[in-house]
Amino acid sequence: MLYGDGVGRTSVCLDKIGDMNFGLLLQQTLNGLAIGGVYAIFALGYTLVFSILRIINLSHGAIFTLGAYFTYTLAGEAFGFNGVLARAALPLGLPFPLAMLLGAVLAGLTGVLIERAAFRPLRTRNADPLLTLVSSLGMAVLIVNVIQFLVGAEIYSYPANALSILGPLPTAINFGNETNAIPVRTIQIIIFIFSLVILAILTYFINYTRMGKALRAISEDAVTASLLGINTDFFIMLTFFLSGFLGGIAGTLVGLSVSIAGPYFGIAFGLKGLAVIVLGGMGSIPGAVVGGFIIGLAEAFVPANMVAYKDAIAFALLFIVLLVRPRGLLGRSGVQKV
Amino acid sequence: MTEFLSTYGVLLVGMVLAAILALSLYLPLMAGQLSLASPGFYAVGGYIAAILSTKVFLADGETIQPFPIQYILFEMLVAGVISGALAVVVGVLALRLRGIYLALATIAFVEILRILSLNLEFTGGAVGIFAIPQPFSDAINYLWIASPLLIVSALFTYRLERVGAGRAFIAIREDELAADTIGINPTYYKVLAFTLGAILAGLVGAISAHFLNTWNARQGTFDASIAYLAFVLVGGSRTFLGPIVGGMLLTALPEVLRAVAGINGLPTWFAQLLRDGRLIIYGILIVLVTIYFPHGLVSPNWLERKAKTNASEAMQRKAAESAEKNI
Amino acid sequence: MNNSSPLLEVKSVTRRFGGVVAVNNVSFEVKAREIFGLIGPNGAGKTTLFNVMTGLTPPTSGTTIYASKDITRLAPNQIARLGIARTFQNIRLFGNLSTLQNVLTARHIHSHTSALSAVLGLPTAIAEEKINRDKAYDILQLVGLAQYAAERARNLSYGDQRRLEIARALALEPKLLLLDEPAAGMNANEKHGLSDFIKQLCDQFNLTVLVIEHHVPLVMGLCNRIAVLDFGELIALGDPLHVQNDPAVIEAYLGDETALAKTRRPASATR
Repeated sequence: MLYGDGVGRTSVCLDKIGDMNFGLLLQQTLNGLAIGGVYAIFALGYTLVFSILRIINLSHGAIFTLGAYFTYTLAGEAFGFNGVLARAALPLGLPFPLAMLLGAVLAGLTGVLIERAAFRPLRTRNADPLLTLVSSLGMAVLIVNVIQFLVGAEIYSYPANALSILGPLPTAINFGNETNAIPVRTIQIIIFIFSLVILAILTYFINYTRMGKALRAISEDAVTASLLGINTDFFIMLTFFLSGFLGGIAGTLVGLSVSIAGPYFGIAFGLKGLAVIVLGGMGSIPGAVVGGFIIGLAEAFVPANMVAYKDAIAFALLFIVLLVRPRGLLGRSGVQKV
Repeated sequence: MTEFLSTYGVLLVGMVLAAILALSLYLPLMAGQLSLASPGFYAVGGYIAAILSTKVFLADGETIQPFPIQYILFEMLVAGVISGALAVVVGVLALRLRGIYLALATIAFVEILRILSLNLEFTGGAVGIFAIPQPFSDAINYLWIASPLLIVSALFTYRLERVGAGRAFIAIREDELAADTIGINPTYYKVLAFTLGAILAGLVGAISAHFLNTWNARQGTFDASIAYLAFVLVGGSRTFLGPIVGGMLLTALPEVLRAVAGINGLPTWFAQLLRDGRLIIYGILIVLVTIYFPHGLVSPNWLERKAKTNASEAMQRKAAESAEKNI
Repeated sequence: MNNSSPLLEVKSVTRRFGGVVAVNNVSFEVKAREIFGLIGPNGAGKTTLFNVMTGLTPPTSGTTIYASKDITRLAPNQIARLGIARTFQNIRLFGNLSTLQNVLTARHIHSHTSALSAVLGLPTAIAEEKINRDKAYDILQLVGLAQYAAERARNLSYGDQRRLEIARALALEPKLLLLDEPAAGMNANEKHGLSDFIKQLCDQFNLTVLVIEHHVPLVMGLCNRIAVLDFGELIALGDPLHVQNDPAVIEAYLGDETALAKTRRPASATR
């Protein structure tokens, strides 16, 4: 992805690492941190479900997409020419931040629905985790294609005045000076700050609230937790809600940063999210954050002549980590009982 | 009859090829490996055929009409060998992983291949390779190559399930640790299963390159692995017949639905759903099957009942023999 | 292999899992044709020791020597090939395979024709398959499961499943058989039958047997020598009479003198 700065100039990717100057370094770092923050938020959705249920919810990427589309609809925007809902739009549009919040809530609720429909029946039967994986994959395919069926596969963009509620904002902030301009897109900065806020709230929730403690208890030992009176079913639903909420937020953020590049974009992003959690360590919340930022920065610092391979970085890292250290940077190693 | 064949020729060939691709996923699955790598080898096989036929056998712009079948068979041979070699390398690296980790590694493998093929020059970049020569004037004639391949693979898999190597696969799937302790080397057999599947996928890729006339990065994607997975899950994951039935059924299904969509009087959105909703249907099927029919449609019981009567007959014979010896 | 050198030597084997020391510097030898018992309270490290011996988990330190060969770093399938077979505390059968097929899978190391010739149905492969099938069937008859040959293993009763696991281990034609709690879930009669059965196997197949057991009377009546583990350490080693009078052993079983007292019989009744 190339980051346009809205005033006609495009951030230049480095030709060679050695040609770095401070301006470019700053641009790339901030770009990397922005997308890294989004990866982190998205990956946390995987991590929350994995730490509770020890399975990977492959429909997470689809929920990510849904979140973006929900926000788009709630903001009152109209759909394109394809799909059953061609040119439909809500009669009333919400202010963007509200639309984003509500969109994420809807995404969270969808997550809960998916848990009831695709996960719970298998859980009560103690089915092989691979079956659950495949079931979630089926859900992902279903959701993404229903979206396509309804609204087509065109690219949608959020309105340019989406963040007008924050007051008049320049398209880019110049970190340099008149002669040596170092523009960084404002939206990237906002996204980065916003990601940090979300991460902080989530960390507080997990570590300092009673509910968070209950979640951690369940992730350690679900049976004992339920014996201690913790309503595991409720907390599993809560986890899926949070996971979907995070996915929806991430989807909207990406839509803001670039655009909504069709429903299949969620699948691709979903796969990248897998790379993040494998790198960081499945089931580790700090791991998801660290992994997200590492991959975000790695992608941002790809030299210009290799930009086309940017997407391959995440997968190459995934493959290498699986070979060398499957539990990732911060994951715990599992001991198999014989 | 001939009109039926020419209209549905493309579909029939598609069904046969889909069945073989389903088998390519079934083989690693026999050894308990959820490998989503088949599309990668399918793509590799296709590129090999495409490159050989457009750049190597013929000078630029030159065509032979029709393209000789021996060349295609040769391309298939090369595709099979290279897919196999690649599979051994990837397999030895990745098959130490279990369950979800293996599935992820194979997903990563397919994505990396896809991105490479999208950007490398000799694969034609985003445009891919087109105008791949045809050996036949009619699509249906591809059955001359595809059907023998299906029959051979089906027979091979059928035999495999009944001999020691197949039992080793299934033992590994049931309990890898226990299999290890009774002398079965899991890595060897997992790589073997994986490689056999890869070779099949590569062979189908080589045929498909000619069949589809063009070949590009869209031929080896994660979506495809979901489709093959659906074939095996819906058709039946415990017997070689399952993937074949599943592949053919799920390939024919969208066409049937499309025909149904043409019936007058259906609401427009429903008709459109039937026409374009192939993947929606696959998605629903995958979810329903994993929850309600985890082993798919075709059950090994159908074959087992025959085997049971054989076994009990054999036992009665043996009992009679040993009774005689003791007298 | 001469009779004076031990068949199996465990030398200073230690196995740590993070902070937990499951097996702590354990050493002993097992002589050929012996029936050797390994007892101790729950969690004493007996199964872990088996896992180290059979290559399922590497020792943190120490070595395992089998027939004068160092097998410490070998993979389980290699160890099986050398002639060591085992059963598991929690039965690990191939549930969806038939009883016969379960035993057949263990004939794998005695199959020398290639997979390809088997698939193609070449005469040598077919002949070998028949031999293996017959042998598998014979073993099933030996353990009394022949009538279930075509039955899915998971449908068998618990006791039958235990016997099937032993049958599968025997199909390897091992020289050393490791049995992990083979009597679990059996009643007194069955346990007695098991004891006789193990002795019979030992004689019939020239086996050396290493048994983990909880049930002390069974072990006392069956084994030539016994090693006692507690918290991963070897606290006693010797013949049954010596071991059951060892104060350390008595204390390890929570000072439960009665459990051991029941096994003390007049000398004439011992093996």
